[in-house]
Order: sequence, then structure tokens, then C-alpha cells
Amino acid sequence: MTRRPTRLDKKFDILRERTERGTLKAASSNRALNKLASNKLAVLGLAFVTIMILASVFAPLVTQYDPQKVDLRMMLKPPSADHILGTDKIGRDVFARIIYGGRISILVGLGSALGAALIGVSIGAYTAYKGGWLDSTFLRISEVVMSFPQIILVLMLVTILGQSLMNLIIIFTLTGWGSLYRLTRAQMLSLREEEYVQALRAFGLNTFTICFKHILPNALGPIMVNITLSTAMFILQEAGLSFLGLGVPLNIPTWGNILNVAQDLRILQNYWWVWLPSAMTISLFVLAINFVGDGLRDTTDPTMQG
Amino acid sequence: MFIYFTRRLLYLIPMLLGISFLIYLGLELTPGDILSYLLPPEAIADMKPEELAAMREALGLNDPFIIRYIYWLGGILQGDFGYSLASGVPISQLVLERVPATLELSVAALLFSTFLGVILGSISALRRGSLLDNSLTIFGMIGVSIPEFIFGLSALVIFALQLEWLPVGKRLMPGYDSYWDHMPHLVMPAMVLGLIMTAGVMRYTRSSMLDSLNKEFIRTARSKGIPEWRINFIHGLRVALIPVVVLIGFRLPMLIGGTVIIEQVFQWPGIGNLFVNAVRGQNYPLVMMISFLSVTAVLFASFLIDLLTALLDPRIKLE
Repeated sequence: MTRRPTRLDKKFDILRERTERGTLKAASSNRALNKLASNKLAVLGLAFVTIMILASVFAPLVTQYDPQKVDLRMMLKPPSADHILGTDKIGRDVFARIIYGGRISILVGLGSALGAALIGVSIGAYTAYKGGWLDSTFLRISEVVMSFPQIILVLMLVTILGQSLMNLIIIFTLTGWGSLYRLTRAQMLSLREEEYVQALRAFGLNTFTICFKHILPNALGPIMVNITLSTAMFILQEAGLSFLGLGVPLNIPTWGNILNVAQDLRILQNYWWVWLPSAMTISLFVLAINFVGDGLRDTTDPTMQG
Repeated sequence: MFIYFTRRLLYLIPMLLGISFLIYLGLELTPGDILSYLLPPEAIADMKPEELAAMREALGLNDPFIIRYIYWLGGILQGDFGYSLASGVPISQLVLERVPATLELSVAALLFSTFLGVILGSISALRRGSLLDNSLTIFGMIGVSIPEFIFGLSALVIFALQLEWLPVGKRLMPGYDSYWDHMPHLVMPAMVLGLIMTAGVMRYTRSSMLDSLNKEFIRTARSKGIPEWRINFIHGLRVALIPVVVLIGFRLPMLIGGTVIIEQVFQWPGIGNLFVNAVRGQNYPLVMMISFLSVTAVLFASFLIDLLTALLDPRIKLE
């Protein structure tokens, strides 16, 4: 009795045929990349993030307006053909401010996430590999930092260091390295027990090489996910701080600073175009990053491998 | 149990010492004379320079740093938190005035988010894979992506400015005395803060509930012929709730942080509002002391949560 060919059989037939003809290409380069590409939300998110980054980098090509230029004859004008998102309280083009604001907001988010990663990952990898008092000291320090409610610690440091763009990135880095440190440490503690590490040690390689060149790449997946999600978190924090007027100095356009005017109830109620587009931009951008982060987690987490 | 309790308490002490040391370091390094923080302003105004110098000596300000720190810590333990730079009022008094408002807001938000999160989370778990479950998951993601103040501002525009159902902000209006009079003021900030926190509770309840529904005691209960709703809610949810309680405890720092911005949106006169004003006015001592108090609150809360978990779950031991 012959078995009815199943779908899998057909697939094998096709593959066999291609092999015989010699046209079979090697399996597509990267399984994780394929998996990410099949996650619609992640692709959508990635597309949106890319567009926003490109738009803000090439801001002068996207809009002809200067985000800083005050035009007192054009105060609080509603959206029109000239100003597609209207103008704000002192006649600045809202669309231009959002596009240029993206530069700073994304810079703060990404810069702080990368800074936090640099500190958290290097300390986490090295101290966890070394172990002993070094490890427990840094574990204690991270506990102290992480027991502060984040926004309180950030505002406290803003008071001490003063308000500027660079300070904000430094402050976010200093307050945000804890979670990446914990993550790297946990990964490292399990990876350093692997046999290849013992082999490397037997070869007499130095600690730095073993730690950063041979072990760390194996822990990179979850770290990448965390960096992505931290970027989203820092963008939200920048927005919150700027809303309070305590983030990036108010004369620099950022998504949060545009929203600062929404504290004024008159603007909030009658001039929606001044604050709503920026609010939507932040929310969509952060949502997009979160989708990318979730997609990345699904592809790099072996328990999610389908 | 007693041993666990003591060890956990002893573990708090080095943490608190470390944090207080950092705070004191901050106090000393920030601009401004530390004397104006230690003494009420009237006292300083009346003093001659020689007297001030003598005072400095008497207060031990010329002593080495470590000695000054120990004096300061002694003062803290006796409830002497120093004086605010802006108003000269003792910091302890300023903070105590504001604590009830913040507590009211955060407890309301905590209750709201817990109820809503647990209910939505368990429905999600029971209807796993359904349209409702998927849309709740998406809503949760959207919820964590919108900055909290935008959420608050939108609520303000819709419910206070357009529909005029609820007052715009503030906690108490002159002439309103009874507790009921200020309930309408509490509704919006508490709901906004609560909804923001709901997403996390919901997600956590969902996975914890799915976990407990797959346990064997559920099968046993089902084989005994107990009605399905009883299995889900009496047997399943009760077990699923233990980790959720822990999560809620761990969200306390977030709750304290969350009130900072929400209080600003709704002009709620709580600690967060006091804190932001202190930061804006460069009122260093007040900023430092509120930070110190909030960390202390978080540490003690997590200590209590650990104890509660240990009581609930006999498997937990310290290391």
C-alpha cells in the first residue's frame, strides 16, 4: 500500500529535484534573521524606527523650516498646507520641531542605552568571571543603585550635576547600568563553567581575552534585547523629565520638550496640534522599539525557537 | 523563621549605611553652606560672624568628614532631618504634611491596578489564544509605550475639559471639607496611575495563572467533579496569586516614581510635587532627604514583602 504523500514529502521532492539539478542554494544565511523577518510586528516596528531615524538625520531635506525660528506673525496657527502640523506658541513649525527633535530624543535614548551597556556589560562580564570579593562588591553597589526609584535618582543627579544634554546622557547611563549588569553577570556565571572555558584557561590565555573575546559573544543575544528595550525606556524617561522642564534644556527641541507646553491647560484644550503629534510620535516610536525588542527576544531565546 | 527574619533585617543595615553615606556626600558636595541646612534661617540671621564660627566649631563642622557624617546620621535617627533652604521649615515637617496625599494616591492606584490586572490577567489566561486575550496583550504593549504624563493629559482633556465630569486637578478646594468632597479629585490621577501599572500586573497574572492551571491539583479537582468556575477561581487563582503579590510589592519603587510625574500633571500636593519643586528650586537638602526617605521606604517595603513571601511559601530560605 502506498502512503499518500504529505506536505513534507512534497517539500523533500522539491529539494531532491533541486539538488539533482544543482541549483540548491545553501540554507539562507541566518536562522535568527529569518525568524525576525517572519515576525510582522517586529518588521513593522523596525521599518518605523528606521524611517524616523533617517528622517531626523536628514531633517533639512524633509522640512524647509528651521525648528528654532520664531515667527510672531504665525503664532498657534492650525495645520495648513504651509505648516502641515501648524505652529506653536511662538510661531515655530511643529513638524520641523518633531523631525529635528527626533535627533536629540533618539540620541539620548540610544546613547544612554549604549553607555549603560558599555558599563554594565564590561563590569558584569569581568567581575562575574573573576568572582570573589570583586563580584560581591559590585553586586552590592548595583543593589544600592537599583533600590532607588529611578526617577528620584535621576532628578537627584540632575540637581547635583545641572541640566544639559550631555549630563542627561551621563545620568541615564549612571542610573541605568544595573539591569544590564545583572543580566550579563547571570549569563557569565553559567557560561564560565563551560568546558571550552577550562580549555582556554589551560591554553594559558589571559582573563581579558577569555572573558570578552570568547565568552561574551555567547551572551550577546539577551544583551541586545535589553539594549533595545532600554532605548525605549530612556526615550520615555527623557520625555517625562522634559515635560517637567528638568530634562534637556528647553531651548533644544526634543519630543519631550515640545510636550512641555502641554502643562498649560489653554494649549492643552484648544491647540491640540501643538502637543498631540509629538505625543503620538513618542508613543509610536517606543511601541515600535518594543515590538523590535520582543521580536529579537523571540529569535534569540532558545526556549522560543519554533 | 526567626533566624531568617533577623538575617534579612541585618542585611538592611549595610545597605542603609551605604545609601546614607552617599546622600551625605551629596549634601556636602552640593553648593551652599551646610550650616544653612543644619540651622533654622532665623537663627543664622541673628548671628554675628564670630558666633557663626563658634557655632561651626560647636556643630563639629570643622571635624573630619567621617565624624561629621556620624553626627548627621545621629541627627537623622532622632528625627532631625535639617531645614529646607527655600522656606527654612524643618524638612521632617514639610514631608509629613505631604505624605498623606501621596499615600492616598498610591494606595488607590495600587488597589485599582491590582483588581483590574488580576481580573483581566485571569480572563486572558482562561481564554488563552482568543481574540480577547490577543487584544489585551496588544493593549498592554501600547500601555507601556505611552508616556504616563501623556496618558494623564489625555484624560484631563477628555474628562475634565471636554466632558467636565471631573475636576481638573488639585486635591482640596477651599470650602470643601468632608472626605467625599475631594473624592472626585482623586478619581482621575488614581485611575491614570492605576491603569499604567495594570499592564504589568495583567501580564504577570496571566502567566502565573497559566502555570497553576497546568498543575496536577487542578486535574484532581476536576476529577472530583467540582464546577469549572470553582476550579478556576478558588483553586487556580489562589495559587496563582502568590507570585502576583510579590510582584506588586516589587512595584513599590515604581509607584513612588510614578507619582512624581502624575502628581505634576494633576497638581496633586504630594511628595512627588514637593520633590519636583525642590529640584526646580535647587533646594539641595530637601532633594537629598526626600531621595533618602524614598529609598528607605522602598528597602523596608521589600523587606516586608520578603517576610510575607517567606510566610506564604515555606521553601524560601535566605541563600
